[in-house]
Amino acid sequence: MSPYMPKITGQEDYVYVWTLGVDVVGDGSDKLVTVAANPKAPNYGKVVSSVSVGGRHEAHHGDFTDDRRFFWAGGLDDSVLYVFEVAADPAHPKLVRTIDSFVRDTGGVVGPHTFFALPGRMLVSALSNERDQGGRTAMVTYNNDGKFVETVWMPDKAEYGYDVRVQPRLNRMLTSSFTGRQNYMRDFGALVADPEAMKHFGSTMVVWDFHARKAVQTLEVPGAPLEIRWALQPRHNYAFTTTALTSKIWLVAQQDDGSFRAAPVADIGDPKKTPLPVDISLSADDRFLFVDTFMDGTCRVYDVSDPRKPRVVHQQRIGSQVNMVSETWDGERVYFTSSLLANWDKKGKDNEQFLKAYGWDGKRLSPLFQVDFLAAGLGRPHIMRFGQERFYKNQIFEGS
Amino acid sequence: MTRRAFAALLALAGQAVAAEVAAPARLRGVDPTALGYTYAVGTFVPEYAPPAVGSYTLPVIQTVGDHPLLDADGRPATLFALKRGEVAVVAFIYTTCVEVAGCPLGNAVLKRIDAALAAEPSLARRAQLITVSFDPERDTPARMAEVRALYHPSASWRFVTTRGEAELRPLLDDFGQPVAKLRFADGRWSGLFRHVLKVFLLDRENRVRNVYSVGFLGPELVLNDVRTLLREADASPPPGAGCLASPTTAVSAPPPAGARGPSPRRR
Repeated sequence: MSPYMPKITGQEDYVYVWTLGVDVVGDGSDKLVTVAANPKAPNYGKVVSSVSVGGRHEAHHGDFTDDRRFFWAGGLDDSVLYVFEVAADPAHPKLVRTIDSFVRDTGGVVGPHTFFALPGRMLVSALSNERDQGGRTAMVTYNNDGKFVETVWMPDKAEYGYDVRVQPRLNRMLTSSFTGRQNYMRDFGALVADPEAMKHFGSTMVVWDFHARKAVQTLEVPGAPLEIRWALQPRHNYAFTTTALTSKIWLVAQQDDGSFRAAPVADIGDPKKTPLPVDISLSADDRFLFVDTFMDGTCRVYDVSDPRKPRVVHQQRIGSQVNMVSETWDGERVYFTSSLLANWDKKGKDNEQFLKAYGWDGKRLSPLFQVDFLAAGLGRPHIMRFGQERFYKNQIFEGS
Repeated sequence: MTRRAFAALLALAGQAVAAEVAAPARLRGVDPTALGYTYAVGTFVPEYAPPAVGSYTLPVIQTVGDHPLLDADGRPATLFALKRGEVAVVAFIYTTCVEVAGCPLGNAVLKRIDAALAAEPSLARRAQLITVSFDPERDTPARMAEVRALYHPSASWRFVTTRGEAELRPLLDDFGQPVAKLRFADGRWSGLFRHVLKVFLLDRENRVRNVYSVGFLGPELVLNDVRTLLREADASPPPGAGCLASPTTAVSAPPPAGARGPSPRRR
């Protein structure tokens, strides 16, 4: 979460799930699905609403603006951005703006990925470019009214992009690297069987002077470093990432001289089996790192109290495949979704598509509810964000 | 919010005269950690040396219009009149806020900027500080005058409010500064506002060139930005003298074919 975002305290009422449409499943369109998540609600664990955007765009990531009133989401295929108003009726988000000029606005940037709220603005990382559909890409800023502000291309020799996260109190921004559109839109089996294509994955992270938007360091992190999570507590001047192709947790830590150093600190499963680490979630107290691996559908929970020595404290198979993981701010619940990319998800009976909620007591995950997104006619669920009636009613949390 | 700050809030809120009566005493039953507004943990103050003046550019984020205000002496004013065509730092606050990463932080930073400007008269002539209350019910001109006396500005730092919601709401909407009264479950106002601290840097053309919040609201950084804007203005021709590229929204060129060098960051 952006540190600029107003937080919700206590039990969330809704999980918003940005979902890829699937042909012959429901209306076949990408959609924002709202699921009731408060056990006190009569419709707990059920779909409350769904708003389709029409067509399939490779729905992927999204996040709230700095006032938490609007949810921005993107499509990796055609680079369209969607803005949903959440505040007016948190149970029924409404599509209020479509930005179909992203490629033109930005000077040829393709594949909007991470949405990171800044004061008055939305910072968007991307994966590709219009010219060659490869991995060279940029970061883009829009203001909260949907007007383009600027494009900043990735630096030489670190041209790939994926995630972007800012640690404001250090004036440092970290970016990671994945692959271009010609790879991420390709069938996964065909891709991994193409040695030339597999050469075109990122192996760098970039440390930026955020205020100046200037790259100050390129870190070698082989194997496609994906999600980035800065530690949240004061004086914790480090971040974690995981590498998809080499299956390791990396620690990116500030050194005494102010520079950053990246080092692998743990294997994730058996790297020889390529379990494919995908999303991660760091608890608000910086103690637990939840790491999903797509191929074996497993979540491993690491105690990262000592960030240089992560140790697995719990491991659980979530499904035949698993991708995104989001822990609540109070650390008591963890949510999972199943879809990675439309052409990378498993096929046949292994193509489970779900949202699953678990309780977390610091030792183990306990199932709470699940929604079958195929049976419900919804599609492939991807990123999740939380909503709460009390927050939007501007009510103070007086205890549960 | 610390417990000490929390206690101070209760005392301060109790002093205010409100059109809608607040019930801050009920806040004693609330976990103070639940009143932190954002996901920032701790004081979240800047821990870095800001980049050098002129070593970066500040893109145009948005443009704001003029709005009616009331100065601390109760005289009508407008945003543009107070700004006088200069660079301005505009902070939205309410005077009874004691959120550690909220209005008191904004006031403290502006106090240090004010002192720095006073020490550099040539800079002070070209920069205005404007603190605007979003609590017109309690922050009357007289209250703003009290706060002004407390901070005792040395340079051009104005404390202003509005006549009420009808003037305030368009102003907040224009800047993109949402605020909302935080209420108890029964609808009673707590005396608090939910707001994320935002301080706006306006250039001479009333364009927002930066929005500061925790982590970036430091006097050195803001002053460097002010100087960077003034350097940019000094390098620009006077109005009507030409059509050089403006520092408005800009696109770096797409990657050149066959070349992998970074595209310039033009704004």
